Formats: sequence, structure tokens, C-alpha cells
Amino acid sequence: MGTLSFAGLTLAITAFGCALGIGWLSSKAVEAIGRQPEASGKIQTAMLIAIAFIEAIALYALVIEILLVFK
Amino acid sequence: MEILEHFVPEKIVPLNLSGIDLSITNAVISLWIGIAIALLLVFLACRRAKMVPGLIQNAIEAILQFIQNEMLGGLPPTLQAQWTPFIFTIFFLILTLNYLGLVPGTFAVTSNINFTATLAIIVFLTCLFASFKTKGFFGYFKALVPPGVPAFVVPIIFPVEIVSQLARPFSLAVRLFANLFAGHTIILVFLSLILMLKSYLSVLPLMGNVLICGFELFLGLIQAFIFTYLSAMYITEAVSLEH
Repeated sequence: MGTLSFAGLTLAITAFGCALGIGWLSSKAVEAIGRQPEASGKIQTAMLIAIAFIEAIALYALVIEILLVFK
Repeated sequence: MEILEHFVPEKIVPLNLSGIDLSITNAVISLWIGIAIALLLVFLACRRAKMVPGLIQNAIEAILQFIQNEMLGGLPPTLQAQWTPFIFTIFFLILTLNYLGLVPGTFAVTSNINFTATLAIIVFLTCLFASFKTKGFFGYFKALVPPGVPAFVVPIIFPVEIVSQLARPFSLAVRLFANLFAGHTIILVFLSLILMLKSYLSVLPLMGNVLICGFELFLGLIQAFIFTYLSAMYITEAVSLEH
């Protein structure tokens, strides 16, 4: 396998993990909003912040992958 | 390097000051246009502030109020009023540049690591000096270790905390840069698919491109929000005395 396939595999694995994380997080947030609709603003903000942290991991992988492919 | 050609700034007026490259590129020109638009909008909103606000004034007042009450909610009111302009400037500049980058023909300034790293370093240094001012030079390092930690753990926790402080500007810069970079690359991929298919099938990537552009509008707002929210969090942590 060349660098290209390794880079694709890396991105696939990272995207898998991050998708799991974001899915779990937002399902919990929706549950919380359903239980307490008056706190939806605070829950949404906290959810967006946490999603940004998770998403950043996938994007680090993307940057590293781009560095691998275009040396 | 062909697919990334779009992200490399082109020199328009070459300028070289004793080995330092200060050329005016199309990125710089886009940055100037963005700053001009942001200034103009705020100027239009606040030139004649009315009791019953118009459209732009209403929007900007809503953003200011959100920043003061939600993002900086953990601070006392005098400090809130003191830090709101800084946070608002960062938010409005990033938002304008994100949206300007979507206009064809301009350079997406926030998809360049140099710009985002500069912003992140500004935020980092501001936090550092603000906390030196409130806690003192040694108080800053003392506040890094949470209270109630046993003495033998301190040599382990202290380097970890230092590294996490230094990782903050890095993660701020890379998050904004990589989001915009990835979004614009996806738009480019869809556009090249339209050219590659050369049949009625190219309607599909066209529809995808429209969807992605709409998503990019949403993402530009979210990224500006995240950047400023995290900056506000770091500043709140730096300025407040006790936890």
C-alpha cells in the first residue's frame, strides 16, 4: 500500500470515531432538550462547543493527511 | 500541488524589505476589503444610534448583547463592558472574512494558516498579559495547579498544564483554518466533478455544490462563534481571581 491509501485509511478511521462521538453527543443533547425545553439555549451552546472540539480531531487528521499526500 | 493551488496567495505587488517578504497578495487585498466591509457595517449601525433600532443596528446590538451576557457571563459587569469590544472585533472580523471567502473571485483569508495563527496568538498573548496583571507573574503559575492537589502530584500536573496552555492557540488556529480549508476544498471537488462528467449527470454535483455552499454559510457563522466563545472562555479564566 502506498502513502495515498494509508492517508485515506487514516481519514476513514478518524471520521468513524468522530461521527460516533458527534452522534452520541447530539442524541444526548436532544434527549436533554426533550426533558427540559426551557434550558435548550444553554444545552445547544454546550453541544456546539463540544462538537467543535470533536470535529477538530477529524480536521487535524485531514491536515496531516494533506501533508502526507502533497509533500 | 494542483488541487491546492487555489489556497496559495498570488503576489500582485512584490515588496521585499531586507529579506522579509511583505508583498501585497490577493489575500491581503481580500483582507482589506473584509475589514472595510466590517467597518462600514458597524459605522452604518452606530453613526446615528436610535432608540428604535433599524435593521443593521438591531443585528449588531443583538450580537453585542449576546457577547456581553452569555459569552462573558462569568465576569463582573465592569469587566464585561471592558472586554466586549475585543471579543466583538474578533467575532465580526472572522464572520465577515468567512462570508467574503465564499464570493467567487476573492481569496478566503481565513483558510490561510498565517492569518488564523496570528489571531490565535493575539488572543493567547492578551490572556497571558491580562492574567499577569490580575494575578501577578508568580500567581499565574500558581493558579495553573488546581487547589487541593497533593504535593507529590504537582511536578506531574505542572508540565501538563503548561503544555495545555501552549496547545490552546495552536488548536484555535488549526480549527478555524482546517474548517475553512476543508469546506473550500469540497466546493472545488464538486466544481471539478461538474466539469468532468460532461453530460446531464452533472446536475447532481451542481445540486451538491449548492447544498455545500449553504452549509458553508452555516459553518462560517458557527466557526466564528466557536473561536470567539473559546477566546471569551480563556479570557474569563485569565481575568477572574478564584475558582
